[in-house]
Formats: sequence, C-alpha cells, structure tokens
Amino acid sequence: MTKFIKYSTSLLLIFFSFNAEIAAQPFESTYSPLPAVNVLIKNANIYDGEGNEFLQTDLLIQNRKVTAIGKDLPISDNFQIIDASDKWVTPGIIDIHSHMGVYPAPGVRTSSDGNEATSPVTADVWAEHSMWVQDPQYALALSGGVTAFHVLPGSANLIGGRGVTVKNLQRNTINSMKFPDAPHSLKMACGENPKRVYGSRQQAPSTRMGNIAGYRKAWIEAEGYLNRLNEYESKSDEAKEMGYKPTRDLELDTLAGVLRGEILVHNHCYRADEMASMIDVAKEFGYKITAFHHGVEAYKIADLLADNGICGALWADWWGFKHEAYDMVQANIAIVDQARNGTGCAIVHSDDAIGIQHLNQEASKALSAGLRAGFQITKARAMNWITSNPAKAAGIYDQTGSLKIGKNADVVIWSKNPFSVYALAETVFIDGALAYDRATNFYPSSDFDVGIIRPSKNRTE
Amino acid sequence: MINKKIHQFITFGYVLIALNTNVFAETILIKNATIYDGNINKPYEGHVLIDGKIIKKVSTNDMQGDFIIDASGKIVTPGLIATDTNIGIVEIGALSVTRDDSSEIYKIGFSIYDAYNPNSTLIPWNRSNGITSALTIPQNTSSPIGGLGSFFVLDGELNITGKKDMVMTGSVGGDSNHSRSEMYAVIDDLLSFAKSINQKDLSTDTNISELIDSSTIAEFMELHPRDVIALYKLVNNNLPLVMKAHRASDLLKLVEIKKKYNLNLIIMGAQEANLVKDTIAKNKIPLIINPINNIPGSFDELASNIKMAGMLEKADIELMFTAPRSHNFHLIRQGAGVAVANGMSYETAIRGLSSTPAKVFGLEKRGEIKSGNFADIIIWDADPLEPSSMPEYVFINGKSIDLTTRSARLRDRYTTDPEKPNTYRN
Repeated sequence: MTKFIKYSTSLLLIFFSFNAEIAAQPFESTYSPLPAVNVLIKNANIYDGEGNEFLQTDLLIQNRKVTAIGKDLPISDNFQIIDASDKWVTPGIIDIHSHMGVYPAPGVRTSSDGNEATSPVTADVWAEHSMWVQDPQYALALSGGVTAFHVLPGSANLIGGRGVTVKNLQRNTINSMKFPDAPHSLKMACGENPKRVYGSRQQAPSTRMGNIAGYRKAWIEAEGYLNRLNEYESKSDEAKEMGYKPTRDLELDTLAGVLRGEILVHNHCYRADEMASMIDVAKEFGYKITAFHHGVEAYKIADLLADNGICGALWADWWGFKHEAYDMVQANIAIVDQARNGTGCAIVHSDDAIGIQHLNQEASKALSAGLRAGFQITKARAMNWITSNPAKAAGIYDQTGSLKIGKNADVVIWSKNPFSVYALAETVFIDGALAYDRATNFYPSSDFDVGIIRPSKNRTE
Repeated sequence: MINKKIHQFITFGYVLIALNTNVFAETILIKNATIYDGNINKPYEGHVLIDGKIIKKVSTNDMQGDFIIDASGKIVTPGLIATDTNIGIVEIGALSVTRDDSSEIYKIGFSIYDAYNPNSTLIPWNRSNGITSALTIPQNTSSPIGGLGSFFVLDGELNITGKKDMVMTGSVGGDSNHSRSEMYAVIDDLLSFAKSINQKDLSTDTNISELIDSSTIAEFMELHPRDVIALYKLVNNNLPLVMKAHRASDLLKLVEIKKKYNLNLIIMGAQEANLVKDTIAKNKIPLIINPINNIPGSFDELASNIKMAGMLEKADIELMFTAPRSHNFHLIRQGAGVAVANGMSYETAIRGLSSTPAKVFGLEKRGEIKSGNFADIIIWDADPLEPSSMPEYVFINGKSIDLTTRSARLRDRYTTDPEKPNTYRN
C-alpha cells in the first residue's frame, strides 16, 4: 500500500514539474489577422528591403504571403488588381524603439507607465503590461506605413524590463497585438538617465561607475540563479523529487533568459566610451547585445559595433537635449552601415510618436548625409534601415521585414518614392490583409477617437 | 573620395574667401536662379544683385556683378526665420547651468537679450541648414503672460545684431495646479492694470513702486518695475504677444482678450485651430504651427490633425512654423514639406518660413528677396522642403557664411585618416 502511495506520489510530482516546464510561456500572443485578400500590385517600383530595387514590376500577395515578384505575373480570377504605375512599394516599416502604448497620447500621468522608476533594476516588469491598447497613436503610425513596432520600457533604469514586438493592429487586449513567436527583449540603459533619476534621490547609481556596478551585480545574481536552475535540471528524476526546485524569481527569470540567449538585449547608450564598456560587460557574462539605441556617438566606434555584430538603432539628427547627445553627426547611420566594408547594421528608430510616422523621411536625411560624407549607398540599401534591419534586431526577420517569397505580406504602397517628403503611404497590408487605405478612408480608430470632441464624429473626422 | 572633397573644399573656400574679403567693395551677382522671393509671386527665373549688406536689385534682365555665382537650376529663397526658439540662450537642454531662459525674479519683464551667446553651437548648425535669423524667447514661467523675446541675426558675430525685447510671450491651457479660468482672470487683471498706467507713472522707480502698491494684482504677483514697463508697452506700443494655446475654447477666449485690449496677438501651437478657423481668420490672428504634429498630446489637443495646415491656409489665415527642439529648429522646413504633402501650397510654405514672420513681427527689411532689403539669402542644392536638401550658400547681411559646423568636423574626423588615432586627426 505504501509502495503504491510512494509510486503515485512521485508520478504526481513528475507530472506537475513536467507541466511547470510546459506552462513556461505565459501571456502568449492571441493575434489573429484581418481578412485575407489576394492582390496583384501591378507595375510598381519596389524596394524589397534586401537592398534590391525593381522597377515597373509586379508583386503578388496570396494567402497572407508574398508569393511572387516579377514582370507580368499571371493571376486567377479571384485576385484584386492594384495599378501601382509610378508608385513605390516597400516592406512594412518596423520601428525598433517605440513607447506608444506605454507613453500613450494624451500624455497624462495616469497612463504614463513606461518607467518603473522605483528601483534601478526592474528586470521583473514587462513593458507589454503597461500598454494601453486604445492609444490613438498606433493608427497614426499605420498611416505612415508602420506594420510592426517594438515597445520598450523607458530609460530611467539600468535594467528597465522586458520589451515586446507588436503588430500594428490594435485590438482590445495586449496579447492580441503581440507578434507571434517574437522573442522578448530586455531594455538596458547607460549614461545620464539612471544616474540622474537615482542620484537625485541619494540612491545608487549616482555616477557612471555606479551604473556599471549595478549591471554587473545584477548579472552576477542572474548567473547564480541560472546555475541553480541548471543544476536542478541536470539531476535525475529521483533526485529532483527529493530535492527542491529553486524558487522562481521573476527578475532573475528574465536575466537568465538573456544569459541563455532567448531574450535580446537592447541597450540605450549615447557615448562611444560607454558603449565600449557595455560590450565588455556583455563579454564578462557571455551575453550578446543586439542593438545600441540612440548611440549618438556610434560613428566613433562603428568598426567595434560591426566586429561584434551589434546594430545601431539611431536618429538621423536629434542632438543637444543632453550632454551625452552633444556630438551628433548626421552621417552617423551611414557610417555605422558602411563599417567594415558595409557589414555594419544600421537602423533608423524614432522613439517618438511623430517620428514613427515619417521614418521614411528620417532614412532619407540619413542617406543624403551619408552621400555627402562620400559614401556610396543606394536608396534600396537605405530602405533596409527601416525594414529588414529592425526586423533582425527584433528577432522576426524570418517572418517579415522584407519582400521575399514566403514571408508575411506586410506591404506598403507609396504615392511617390518613399525618400521624398511628399510621399504618402497610400495602402498598407499586414499579413496579406488590408489595414489602411487612404483613398477610401479605410483606417482603424481607437475607442479614444470615438466621439471625443463631437459625439457624432470621430476625433480626426 | 578624400581627394574630391579636398578639391571641392579648396574651390569653395577660394570663393568664400573672395566673397568675404570684398564684402563692402564689390558686388555679388546670383545668376539664373529659380527665385522664391517670399512675396505672393510664383517663382521665377532671375538674378539677384547684392551690394554690401543690401539686395540692390532683383531682375529677370541681365545685370553686372563683380563676383558671379551661377545658380542655374537652383532654388533661391530668403533666409529662413525661426519664430520660437531658445537659440543662443540654451546650450544643452538637460544641463540647467547652460540654460538662461527663465527667471525666478522677473516675470512679464524678463528679458533674455543679455544672455544671448553668439558662440552657441546651435547657431552655426541651424544656419548651415538655412536659418538666418531667429526670435529667441524665454521659457514660460509661472505667469500666464511671462517674458520678453528678442530677435537675433544669426551671423555669429560677437557684436550682436538684433532687436531687443520685441515680443511678449505667454501661455494658457491645462495645468496640474492652476485652472485656466484663473489664468484668464490673471491676464484680464494684468491687462486692465496695464491700461491704467500713464506714462508719467513710469518716470521714476518710486512712481512705479507706488503704482504697484496701488494695484492688487501687481502686488499679489510681486511685479517688479521691469514687469510694469513691459506691460505698458504691451498695451500701448502694439508689442506682438505670442500666446501658446491649443484648445478650441482657449483660442476663442484669446480672440476676445485681443479685441478687448486691442492687442497684437499671435497664437502659437493652436493644435485645434481647425475647429475655430473662421473666427481666427475673421480676426486676422496669425498662427505659429507645427504642421507635423498630429498627436493629441494633451486633452487640449484632441483635434490635432495632419491636414490642418492646408485647411488653415484655405481659410486665409497667416501661418508660420515652429519645431519642438531648437537644436534642430531648421527642421521647420521638413515640417513645411509635410504640410505641403498634406494640402498646403508650396509658396505659402516658403512664405511661412520667411516673409510671414518678418511681416507679422515687424522685422524690417528681412524675409523677402527684394530691392532694399538686407541680403539674407539661401541658394539651395535642391528643393528646400526636401529634408535631403542642403544650402550651398548662406548669405546673411550680404556676407557669404562659412558653412562649417562642429558636427561636420566631427564627421570628417571619423571618416578620414583611419590610421591616425582620433585625437591626432584634424
């Protein structure tokens, strides 16, 4: 009898611990796309996000994928035809640095939830839980051709929490916006912000050396946690049932995820010397920095970034608001892109609800500055800065970010060459479904927009 | 790449030196340009003759000049005028020791003129991107009317060319600590007080002190003599008053105040102007707008709309442009480009960057390419509203400005001489 109880008890224990591993993905995406359309975009000029340009070429959207790019593509009867003569087609634009949702509009205290500025290390919080799904800014970004974006915590903290990639299709739950199978990210920040926020409260960090000590102490704890987890996992089933599983720690879960290579590090950092230090911190603990964000001084260490496979998610020209943002160079993005024989990874990001609507113009400024600096960069390559490169940095390049056969049909049709200030996004497809169409006034509006000024009209009507 | 750049630099530098050393002795002719003169004219092909500081003549007929710049195929516009900046009085936004844009002692009479730094890095940076002069204003302080702005020509000379204390500023709207009706009450009381001032009351400090003591609002707000003098000028000398406000109801209230006190009112921001455009047009209130800003950033800005610039133009409202960050105030031309992409006419956009601010703020002989005006002129390498374009030449007061910036030098430092340590490059 006791043998039976022991046996069934251990069976139960194994059952529950096994389930604990399977249930390790809370807050899974419940995204479902809009109705699919089959479309032939005819006779367009195309930048494919892989550095290629095709003139007067057709693109086929079928069953939510890009299925063909070529001249005079044959179609069957159930295809809608869009005549895109003299128009331009690009992949959907992806912003790798957004605070839409966590710093929504209107910018009021009650919903400004982007910084859990109560402790310098808050690896336990996830930015997605601060997102307001009714932010009216998402639809404005859609009208600028943005089909996906990466929401990060702010930069008040050394380690701010997890970021999340979302599809630009707002619904009424966060999970329904989450990009399926996209990895989480971890926001880190160096420089003035954390030391100002906590130093002004007479807390650590109050200096840059305090910043670095703060990251290193957190990673040391994470290493210890990961060791305990690994040690437990390597035990036999019998030993597991005798020993205690390490108590789960929400903060250290995230940091361990970074050390295991599952969570991508996005590191806000302006100064070249600090970026170099952060690379050393990453090496000390064996993790990878996916991208430095803002990086106003990235041009000073462009070779170092290329050698380490680190992207620079940068602005075309923002500067001067902080001392660490003083040494701006308009050719920053181009210099990073062209480092080590053009093996650098340059991204144009916005960190701004207005900038996200005009990332094509920001890329245009960055391109022209690069040309003036003497680099040879094509427009087709510059398009990568707002499409495939951010897709790579977000870990979704296998699904989207370029117009390649078999990838998601996230496609924008522009009225003019997108590098012109006069270009307007006319039509936007997300997963091969119509999400935005300027000519027919087809666009989403958030609940906030409904009747907010005059009851019978929406906000922008 | 390096050789070509050196060659270009030498050629350009030669022309530059030549132009600079003979500023007052010889004339400069800009030939065959596509001229947007800042007037209501459509652009035309023509020539501009600069003599000393002045535009001597603008003509479609041939002219003679000592130095000739062939501007064939190039667009020429007046120098762009910034309307609402802290250029020269703030170096780094987050570093308060470099900020000279606020006062705890003075409110209405706070002047920033003496804080202006001709060596600020914002000046060559904005100038090389097309801005030749600027209205620099203080940060808004506690009073709904607060602080005097000044006009500066961005030649970067230590001997400053400008016009001191020529605009009053203020703002009304949602605030965490003050009801906006309280702000209107304060404005009404202050202006009523201002109206009651006789010039002889200002003749001595003692007189002004007595005046302050006799006025509840002046005493309550702890006004200083400078504040009182500024108030007097506001209601008697037609001093332009730039009030920042967004909400439709606030725009209407400001129109009422303008009418009651006969003010020279300009409204800045005006994100909901489209809802009250007929009233604004009827009362001829010029607006300073940020046309790229379509975000309902506060409950005062719910009607924000990217099509607003075009709609306001159709209502015949005079429009000027602002940008949120003075470090890149030159991006007003990108904003103007977005305005044109969304319905504004090109010529109105160019005027909004040049002649409209000159006219609205009484900047004499600026803002238009016409005979007798100061020669603030830009020759662009392409369409100035395309952010990929840059000025090829910037003339301020007839002098061709060296377009070198710290930013360009840093760029060159990190794209040349890779074998040298960075500190030993140029």
